[in-house]
Parts: sequence; C-alpha cells; structure tokens
Amino acid sequence: MTAEMNAAKRKRQQALVAYSFIAPNFIGFAIFTLGPIILAMIMAFMEWDGNNPWKFVGFGNFQNIFTDDRFLAALKNTAVYAVFTVPLTLIMALALAILLNQKIKGRNFFRTITFFPYVASLVAVAAVWNMLFTPAKGGIVNQILINVFHMKAMKWAAAPATVMLTIIMFSIWKNMGYYMVIYLAGLQGINQELYEAASLDGANGWKKFLYVTWPQLKPTTFFVVIMLTINCFKVYDIVYMLAGGSNGVVNKSAIVLVYYIYEEAFRNWKLGTASAASMVLFVIVLVITLIQFRGEKNYAND
Amino acid sequence: MKKRIISSVMAATMVASLAACGSSSSQSTTAAATEAAKAETTAAAAAETTAAATEAAAGGDEAVTLKWALWDKDATVYYQPLIDAYTKEHPNVSIEMVDLGSTDYSTVLGTQLSGSGSDFDVVTIKDVPGYMTLVNKGVLEPLDDRIAADGIDLSQYKGITDQVKISDKLYELPFRSDFWVLYYNKDVFDKAGVDYPTNDMTWEQYDELARKITDTTAGSEVYGAHYHTWRSTVMLDGILDGKATAVDGNYDFAKPYYDMVIKQQDDGVCMDYATLKTQGLHYSDAFAQGNIGMMNMGTWFLSTLIAKIKSGEYTDCTNWGIVKYPHAEGVEPGSTLATITCLALPTSAPHKDAAWDFIKFVTGEEGATVMAGTGNIPAMSNDKIVSSIASMDGFPADDTTSKDALVTTHTYLEMPANDKSAEIETVLNEQHDLIMTESEDVDTGIKNMNEGVQAILQK
Repeated sequence: MTAEMNAAKRKRQQALVAYSFIAPNFIGFAIFTLGPIILAMIMAFMEWDGNNPWKFVGFGNFQNIFTDDRFLAALKNTAVYAVFTVPLTLIMALALAILLNQKIKGRNFFRTITFFPYVASLVAVAAVWNMLFTPAKGGIVNQILINVFHMKAMKWAAAPATVMLTIIMFSIWKNMGYYMVIYLAGLQGINQELYEAASLDGANGWKKFLYVTWPQLKPTTFFVVIMLTINCFKVYDIVYMLAGGSNGVVNKSAIVLVYYIYEEAFRNWKLGTASAASMVLFVIVLVITLIQFRGEKNYAND
Repeated sequence: MKKRIISSVMAATMVASLAACGSSSSQSTTAAATEAAKAETTAAAAAETTAAATEAAAGGDEAVTLKWALWDKDATVYYQPLIDAYTKEHPNVSIEMVDLGSTDYSTVLGTQLSGSGSDFDVVTIKDVPGYMTLVNKGVLEPLDDRIAADGIDLSQYKGITDQVKISDKLYELPFRSDFWVLYYNKDVFDKAGVDYPTNDMTWEQYDELARKITDTTAGSEVYGAHYHTWRSTVMLDGILDGKATAVDGNYDFAKPYYDMVIKQQDDGVCMDYATLKTQGLHYSDAFAQGNIGMMNMGTWFLSTLIAKIKSGEYTDCTNWGIVKYPHAEGVEPGSTLATITCLALPTSAPHKDAAWDFIKFVTGEEGATVMAGTGNIPAMSNDKIVSSIASMDGFPADDTTSKDALVTTHTYLEMPANDKSAEIETVLNEQHDLIMTESEDVDTGIKNMNEGVQAILQK
C-alpha cells in the first residue's frame, strides 16, 4: 500500500520536474504565440479598430477580403512568387553546392561569395539591386539588354509587368547561398563508398547524381522545400524594399499576403479583416505543409 | 498512425509559428491593448481629476511635466525654441519631447494612443489621414468647448480649420502650415539666357518655360522641371480652382496635368518617374545637383535649403528663388496646396489643462513668431510674419519676387478630412504610380481613380 503510494508520489514528482523543465519555454510560447493565435482566430470574426469595443460580424470579414481586389491580388502574387521561387532557388542552391563541393581552386572564396548576399543587410543589397536594375536606359542591366541582346530597356521593379520577375530574381539570388550551405552539409554526409560502388558499376557523372546523390539528399531536399515554401508565404521585406516606392505603398502588381495583413491592420486599422487574412494564410500553409509531410512519409517508407 | 499524428502536430506547429510571424505583432499588441486600454482609461480619469484639482488649487503653479509626441526631434529646428519660449513664461512647466520617428509616425502614434503607456499630454498630428484615424478611434479630445471658452479666433487660420472639422467638431489646431511654391535655380536660367519665372504664370507658360531651358544632351542634361514622386506634385495641381477636392470621387480635373507631365517626361524635360521611384532620389538631392530649372515643392524645403547652402553642403543651387505656384487660366495667382501640422489633446492626457495652455501658446501668435524666427511658416500668418520669414538670413534677396511668393490667396488642403481618406489615398497613389510609369494611359488611370474611389465612398 505504502509502496504504491510512494511510487505514485515519485511519479508525480518526476512529472513535476519534467514540467518545470518545459515551463520556461512553454510559458513564453503561450504568452507570445499561442495566446495571440487564439485571439487572432477570434478577432477574424470581429470588427475592431484597436480602440472602440469589438463587434461580432460573423463571416463578414472573410466576405470583405474575398471581394477586395487588393487581397485577391496579394493571394495571386504570393502564389506566383512561391511557385517560381521555390523550385528555382532549390535548383540553383543544389547546382552551386555540387559545384562548390568539388576540389576546385578558390573553393572557399566562391563559397563565401555565394553566401554573402544572405548575410548582407537586405536594405543595402536592395539599394544596390535597384541601382543595377534601374528603369533608366542608362542602367547597367538595361545597357546590357540593349547593347548585347539588342532588346528594349525594361522598367523592372517600376512596371507592373516585370515587378514580380525582379522580386523573384532578387529573392533567389539573396537566399540561394543559405540553402547551398545546407546542401553542402547534405553532400558531405553521403558515404563515398556509394560513389565508388557506382563507378565500379560503370556509372557516369549524371547517373551518379541521379542514383546516388539525389536519393541520398532526399531528407535535405525535404527540409529545404518546406523552409522555402514557408518563407515564400512569409515574404514581405523584399517586396517592401524593392517595390515600396517613396511613400512605402506597395501596388496591386506586387502586394503580397503579409503586406496586405500589415496594411489592413496598421494603416487602415481594420484588425478584424487583417486577422481574417491571417487565417487564410494559415490555412494555405497548413494544407501545403500537410501535403509535404505526406510526401515525406511515402519516401520514408520506401 | 502514430507517425501521422506526429507529422500533423509538427505541421501545425510550423504553420502556427509562421502565422505568428505574420500577425503576432498585431495580435499581441492588441491583446495587451484591450486590457491596458481599460486600465488606462480608469487610471487616466482618476489622474486627471486629481491633476485638475491640484492645478486649480495651486493656481497653475504646480510643477508639471508635459509629454509631447513628435518626430525628428533633432532635425527639426523649432521644437526647442517653442519649448523655451513657453517655459520662460511658465517656469513650473517642463516639457519632455518623445520622438516617434518620422517614417511611420502616424502608425506608431495610433498604436501608442490605443495601447498601454500612452501618457502623452500633447500630440503632434502629421497629416490628415493620420488625424482621421485618431479621431475615428476616439482617442482625441474635441477642442470646441475650450476654443469657445478661451475666445480663440479661428479666422486667423484663414479657413483651414474648417477643412479639418469632423461632424462639426474640431480636434486639432494647426501651428505650422506649409504651402507649395515653385523653386527655381537662377543659374540654370542665366545659362540658357531665359527670363526667370514670375509670380503670375499660367501652367501653359510654365510648361513653355521648362522646355526652353531643357537640354537633353547626354551627360550634361538640364531638366526644365522636376516632379517628386508624390501624387501631389502632379494630380493636385488640378484642385487649385477650388472646384474639386481629392476626396470627391471624380478626378477628371487631373487630366491636363498628367498629360503635361507625361509629355515632359517623354521629351526629357523632367526626370523619369520610374527611375526616381526605384532609386528613391530625394527631391532636395535632385535640386542640389544644380541641373534642375524649376521644382514644385512645399515651403518646408525653405529652411533645409537655406541651412544646407549655408553649411556648404549644397554648392550647385546657391542662386535660387521662389515664385508663386503656376495657376490655371482664370484662377487667382497665389492659389496653392497646403499641408498643416497640428497639435491635439489625447483623451488619455494626464494633464489636460496644462496641455491645452501649451497648445494655445504654440498655435497662437506667440508660437507663430517663434516659428517664423526659425524660418518655418506658422499656420497663423500676417504681414509681420511674412516679413520676418523673408528677412531671414539666406532667403533669396532678389527684388520682392521671392517675398511676394509667400503671400497666398487661397490654400487647399492636399487631403481634406474624410473618414475614408486612407483607403482613398491607396487607390489614388496606385493609379498615380501606374500613370507615371506609363503602365497605363492617362485616361485609363483617371477612369480607374473615379471608379475605385466611388466604390469606396459608396461602401
């Protein structure tokens, strides 16, 4: 009897110790993440300007955003951005990683150069980028277009037709270094014996990549794809820097979801609509992530 | 199955952290805000009664510290002189400036006043949309009773206060009023052998003049005109006949001005908007390059220009002058755009009476004299104040042209008070951008402005 009670007591104590270890992190999470998320879910059904009392409006906020041109434009632009940025960044990062994993001269130098855009301040590199891609005919990139490719000068970030292109190119260039490093780590984790075995079987470079490197890199690729996708849906700063203009307003041609949320919440003080838009963003990313996890399970069971 | 649960949980956590990145700042602030706002109002109300009581008892000699919300504390020349002038008369009052930064001033102020920690006694209001937001949120105190009680004559503000009344109530008083003039570089005109602009020019004459002094030779371009990327520089030239405003929902008035500027842009008379936008070239830097003939800009540029020429930073535009804004046929010269900077009293202010006394001082004649002494245009203006600005060291000492340019006949707010002004501005700015980058033609742009704004007004 007493032994049982002691056991129960010990168990409770152990649990208490465990909880006390989780507590610091969990309390922070609850206050700064969980609470706000729940509040946002509630607020999505309310009308609130930050000061006056809340007003319940049901699905009114969702109706509003889905009839709002700017929200629909934001949805489209974010999707376009993700669809192009994710695969292109992945390909660039992988290609660079394979290249810089070889024993070439000045390898570390090139690795540093590729990684540099990622560590450099966004504001600074965006300014440089805007200088290179200036819409003026005398701009460096435009000069190359005109004189080397005999094309017409482009307006890049200033024109609705090319602004997303400019943003996507910038994003790939800025972030590929980071994912390259992840891939480098992945490449170095591959057992060299596999390549030797493949060589004995007469595999050439491409076949080695296809049957050794790529399958071995699958966990890395999975991680990269998820991080990239999530980052793409979170994009905000790049758009603001490249397409923000002098009054900091992003046009319909370049607006993205997070910017829309910010604008609704803090420029127009419609916290309800902003929360509704956040919920839409939440659902989109939830669905994408679930699909990707399902994909992971399939290959893990191979 | 277990694996599936784990992965779902993982997915949910990831998404949650993502959504938090997107919106947690808003939610956490607002969460805290509701609670704090409640506590705040009761606390403030209590503090207010005691403060008022003690003040009344002590005859206003009690030591009071007023907190004043403003922006660009160090770069603005008049805050400290205003404070010094006031505290000289009221030694018991000390004023603490709180700099909220200029870029997002209105946004930050909005958050502060609706959240915790908003113990401001006096707040500066930067623009009309910011003012509207605060009034809608109900965080500003109507001033009408106090104005009536102290017998303040609103006519000294030349009707500008009528343009910011909301449902017949006034929540702010202007202390600074900038209006638009045409700056010109005399050297550019001298070199081209062309007469200087005058105080009585129509837009046609202005366009002609700009073309005369333009030189499109590559490498040594001279631009006859310069338009900063703001919408006001082009679109609002059309409201100076007083027939329309920027919130009416019909923007046909803007067509001639867009046509004129787009044509100038195509002919190399002014710099390309798209380039200006992406490079973020500041108008002062553009003018300082010395190859710009004329530039329409507000009087806020006066003190910067004078100071930077004096310090030797600007060397290519030292020989400058100003003239009145060009006008449309049949409109009186001296009609121009204006923006006002105002002071307001938050409902949560801990020392309302003391704060009101300070507001009265700054927006009244004493404050105006101090403002003029620093080279800034006070909202309350008369001949004495115009002379005081024109006699400032560094002001163009031509005949009286530049001085006369400071006398306005009609001033129109760039954005009159309207509770949808923030949304209207988004539509107008977007169309302005599309027209100026020549992504759409002028007619389409104006049609989109009309439709977009009417849709907002009807909501």
